[in-house]
Amino acid sequence: MKDLFGYAGRKFILYLQDLSSLVYLFRETLQQSLVLLRDGKKLREAGILKQVDEIGTQSLPLVLSVSALLGIAITVLISFQLKDMGALSYIPGFVAVAVFREIGPLITAMIVAGRVGAAFTARIGTMKVSEEILALETMAINPVRFLVVQRFVALLLALPALTLAANFTSLLGSFVFSSTRLGIRADTYVREMLDVLAFKDIYSGVAKAAVFAVLIVMIGCYRGLVVEGGAEDVGRATMISVVSCTLAIILLDTVMTTAFYG
Amino acid sequence: MIVIEDLRKNYGDRKVLDGVSFAMERRKITHILGTSGGGKSTLLKVMIGALKPDAGRIRYGDMDITNLQGRQLDPYRKKIGMLFQHGALINSLTVAENVGLPIREHTGLDDNIVKIMVKMKLEMVGLRDFEELYPAQLSGGMQKRVALARALALDPELVYFDEPTSGLDPIVASVITKLIADLNRLLGITCIVVTHAVEEAMRIADKIVILYRGKVLAQGTPGEIRESSDPLVQQFITGNPDGPISFRASSKDYREDLLIG
Repeated sequence: MKDLFGYAGRKFILYLQDLSSLVYLFRETLQQSLVLLRDGKKLREAGILKQVDEIGTQSLPLVLSVSALLGIAITVLISFQLKDMGALSYIPGFVAVAVFREIGPLITAMIVAGRVGAAFTARIGTMKVSEEILALETMAINPVRFLVVQRFVALLLALPALTLAANFTSLLGSFVFSSTRLGIRADTYVREMLDVLAFKDIYSGVAKAAVFAVLIVMIGCYRGLVVEGGAEDVGRATMISVVSCTLAIILLDTVMTTAFYG
Repeated sequence: MIVIEDLRKNYGDRKVLDGVSFAMERRKITHILGTSGGGKSTLLKVMIGALKPDAGRIRYGDMDITNLQGRQLDPYRKKIGMLFQHGALINSLTVAENVGLPIREHTGLDDNIVKIMVKMKLEMVGLRDFEELYPAQLSGGMQKRVALARALALDPELVYFDEPTSGLDPIVASVITKLIADLNRLLGITCIVVTHAVEEAMRIADKIVILYRGKVLAQGTPGEIRESSDPLVQQFITGNPDGPISFRASSKDYREDLLIG
């Protein structure tokens, strides 16, 4: 029993240490982002557009196909009950609200955490192990500015955009299924949807996406920067990074949904 | 002048540096030799400011660099270069971008001037034709030479070398050794070489410091070291497997360890 408390206590202290380091990294990233945004030449050299392409554009096919399928799946799921009640016209409004408020931001962030957050950890972790980060420091180059800032800015731009694209694709999936299989007329679908969907639904989803972007970059890069050892440790760090990203995203999603609509 | 005073560093119970003191002169080549696990790498990390010692001081000229943190180290780090054991080139950048990186970061020079400087640095290590290749496309020896060009990019006063010749074929190893000697004799760069290559040290060093079990075992010119009557020093420079330095690293008594387990 005493051992158990000792174990839990030690884990908790480690967790608090990680948390304070994450906050420190976030503060440093914000500071360095400001420095970079003021320096036109370095901003061009930082290659933010290349990162946007790598983490945003290249995630599009995956994100869009998953969202289209999810749009259809949600529609199928709720039409099952609504059909008996003769209330099929509620489908557009329900799907739109569910997608914009909750499902779109959450699923997009999960996909990006798995695809991009893991890549950040693996890439930066490998650089740490092969002494590239130490080399940067020895050259008096701030590793956070060199490695974290452009990823931070890029994902902060890319994730909300990806989320919006995912939302509309989900709606499109639901729309196509409803009009071909459930016999809901196209104009009815659009009218019902617009009746229910409020501007707040859209911006609350985008706000969530921005917060998730910060989580993914910070956790992904932090886990990479603290890797010690070799290839095995990079693998373990990548796993921990994806797991903690997922947990953090769901936790903050719940908090934000409650704050916006609770 | 770099002065190291009574430097101590422990990892847990293990004393890696146990009161190391010596001085290295400006514009000279100093080789720090030692057995594996003798504290060389730790000493180097402390010297470049990547690791804080538990006690002791390091001074570079009139700068005390022992307890500087983060950005406070920048003025010192802009004066030094470091050649890492495996090069530590940034893998996502080409050779030219790697060499140009410190120049772009720390000077406001025009792109064309940076390109010319990169060409000059690469010419020094004989790799001007490889500008557009990525580090993974180069051999180990070439990577080290590019890394040397990068270490020299900002014309440092002092360059640290971490095992510059380990893992290289004898010819490339001699090329690197000659490069180090040339840097010192022609450009007056202070060179501090951490290595276990005794022959190379005897050939070019102005001063040799031998570390053993976290302490300075001997220091002096190559001639003085060769003439030393200390059996430990003799075993080290001749590489004799039999002698006072045991290959066994365990501190526990063998008989006791087996019986009590």
